[in-house]
Amino acid sequence: MAETKKFAMVVSEGGFDKAMMAMMMANTAASMGIETHIFYTFFGLNLLKKGAKPKMPGMMRLFTGMMIKKMKGIGIDGYQEQMDMAKELGVKIYACNTSMNMMGIKQEDLIDGVTVLGAAAFLDIGTDSDMQLFIG
Amino acid sequence: MVIIMDKNDTLDAKGLMCPMPIVKLAKKMKDLKVGEVLELIADDVGSKEDVPAWCKRTGNDLVGQKEEGGAFYFYIKKVQ
Repeated sequence: MAETKKFAMVVSEGGFDKAMMAMMMANTAASMGIETHIFYTFFGLNLLKKGAKPKMPGMMRLFTGMMIKKMKGIGIDGYQEQMDMAKELGVKIYACNTSMNMMGIKQEDLIDGVTVLGAAAFLDIGTDSDMQLFIG
Repeated sequence: MVIIMDKNDTLDAKGLMCPMPIVKLAKKMKDLKVGEVLELIADDVGSKEDVPAWCKRTGNDLVGQKEEGGAFYFYIKKVQ
């Protein structure tokens, strides 16, 4: 077996496309045995709220339902199902502490299994990783 | 590569697009014992590259592969 690799991702936007891309990438990585970490910051934090239903950005938001339907048609689960899968696969999910304060979001507003971190703690994980991606 | 071995189980991932065949493959392989072979059937063109990459990364053996009737068949032996 190839040595265990580490993958760190930052998600700073809360739109449907960013949300899904991050989840699909993370779940694929975790399925490949890659240790996966996602840090949600700024508007990305909205994706960690309980019952989050992300929409496409701007005017495209009107087409969100159509996109969800299209994705279902090719066997891709919805956002919440993907998030549940990520947790099941052991993907580590972090919320940015400063963004939470800035946006008035409390830990109890967030889904279970989220760890609240500061930037330094996440950068420590990131510098230790083999691959880093920024989704924003 | 066309060395096809006896299979112990089959996973039909037809109709599923990347990354679902890989996610389902990873889950399914957990149920297999070391030495057993899984047949994975997919029709996503991406799986032609994705499945070998998954095998390489996870250290499992891709012991056979074929294309038939527009679908891709992979035979994956569990190593660990």
